[in-house]
Amino acid sequence: MSSGFFYRLLLISQFELKRAFLTRKGLLSMGTFAVVWYFILLYPLRFAADVLVEGKGLIQEFSFFDFIGFNSLGQWPIPEFGVFWHFALLIFPLLSISLAADQTCSDRERGTLRFMVLRSSRDSLFFGRFLGAMLIQALLIGSTALTVLALVLYRDASLFSSASENLLAITVSVALAILPFTAMMAALSAVVKSVRQATVWAILIWTFLAGIISVLAYYLPVLAALKCLVPGYQLSDLAQLSEWRTLKLAYIPLLQSVILLAAGRWIMARQAL
Amino acid sequence: MKVPIIQCQKLSHVYSGKVALNGLNFELEAGEPIGLVGPNGAGKTTLLSILSGFLRPTSGAVRLFGHPPGAARLIGKVTALPQDARLDPNFSITEQLIFYARLQGFNKQQAVVETGRVLEAVALQIIGAEKPIALSHGMAKRVAIAQALIGKPALVLLDEPTAGLDPISVRMVRNIIAEQAAAMTFIISSHDLTELDRLCHKILLLENGVLQSEQLLGDAQYEDIRFITLQMETCPAMEVITKFQTLAGVTEVSNPQKNEFIVAYKPDLQPDMDLQLMQCVNANHWQYRQLSHGKTLEEKLFFRD
Repeated sequence: MSSGFFYRLLLISQFELKRAFLTRKGLLSMGTFAVVWYFILLYPLRFAADVLVEGKGLIQEFSFFDFIGFNSLGQWPIPEFGVFWHFALLIFPLLSISLAADQTCSDRERGTLRFMVLRSSRDSLFFGRFLGAMLIQALLIGSTALTVLALVLYRDASLFSSASENLLAITVSVALAILPFTAMMAALSAVVKSVRQATVWAILIWTFLAGIISVLAYYLPVLAALKCLVPGYQLSDLAQLSEWRTLKLAYIPLLQSVILLAAGRWIMARQAL
Repeated sequence: MKVPIIQCQKLSHVYSGKVALNGLNFELEAGEPIGLVGPNGAGKTTLLSILSGFLRPTSGAVRLFGHPPGAARLIGKVTALPQDARLDPNFSITEQLIFYARLQGFNKQQAVVETGRVLEAVALQIIGAEKPIALSHGMAKRVAIAQALIGKPALVLLDEPTAGLDPISVRMVRNIIAEQAAAMTFIISSHDLTELDRLCHKILLLENGVLQSEQLLGDAQYEDIRFITLQMETCPAMEVITKFQTLAGVTEVSNPQKNEFIVAYKPDLQPDMDLQLMQCVNANHWQYRQLSHGKTLEEKLFFRD
């Protein structure tokens, strides 16, 4: 017989992977995501990459990409990954709000969490579910990056080695970028009663918190520092970086995640089940 | 000396200003099933939720086997059937029970065997591959009891195990508890006093969040005054009372409900009072439905002197 915090944490996260990839509901979500991603890959991403590849010399003057905020595209040696990087920074945080919203709320309302806390600590449950949500998203990021790699190799197979490095850098950086979003959803899920409530609160926090802090900082400038607590605070700066330089800002999502997870753990420990 | 499995000291819980439990003090030892009764809103579910670790008490101290509820050391030792809790609709019964067994520390093979054992104990081995949505209310309750039996815990807390069940399922649940009671201590919260009377050795009565009494059942042979409860077919109540009162040894006859009579008597004066009553009923050409020794649990708990 085995036991302990990490043993249960891993079991709970494995069960979440099973939920995402081996249940009918999970497979339906994954199938939908695959179809949407297929069209993103085939049209906007390939189109943008083709434009860049064909007109490489014009990239500095190509103001359209500057206009939509994709001005660091030229810094990526492989244009497909440059475009993917910008798409990923837009899509995966939004996806995280939806995918990670139901870490505990539905199970708490249904009473299923009671069966689990009879057999594991609330900490194992909270962090196990968080780890499960992160692994699922990391797998999605990794697999979408692999589809981009396939696109690159289809164009030029000799790019394999540099493309693989780009793939790894993007997977790690995007996973780090969504870490605080997933932690925010873990904390919200521990408070609210439904996925819809968690999603609405996340959007409100994400959309308005920075604005509210800005207004408050107008009167008390020291409060401007609080902006760094809003998940995604670093995303616009992060989009300007390329390859492994993207890790320069990794401390921000890590710090945000630690704070949000500590808050979520505090809530979970006191929540009536 | 027996070590208490549950110790509560000044245990209180308040829900948004409403007192659900008010300074409970009690200790329970391992052994026969223990019943927890009380009217709606008395605090039974709150007490069981605190003992199970689902709820933190507002004040007071609780210890199960010397540990606070929810402690890691209680995993596998204390389980529960939470009221109205449902399994995950996305996984089959077997998948979930195996997962729970693994959380309790069983390896994969042991968890499969243990899942088979508990499903067999509740006579539901054939539905293991089904999802919870395919189960009737009675089956879902039995599956929930099955999860509480995983790993043969020392203490099982059952919150309303027979609520909403048909008579056949009630009997099945009663048999499950009776069969397992030799190996583990059950604490059963229920409104069904007949069930508790049949299953439990001790009853805790909660009213308005206060522990009103702790009653030991089944020790009537040591009492000076004993009781017989007699349920009759339609009969002249006043005449029955008058005739019974004339029997030697009878101290009091009451008629708490239509056609139900409680006869108090002194066993040292008339040890065979049941025979005397039967003869009296026969001599007067009355018909009876049921004769039982002692008072009903309802009388003992709610209609004390």
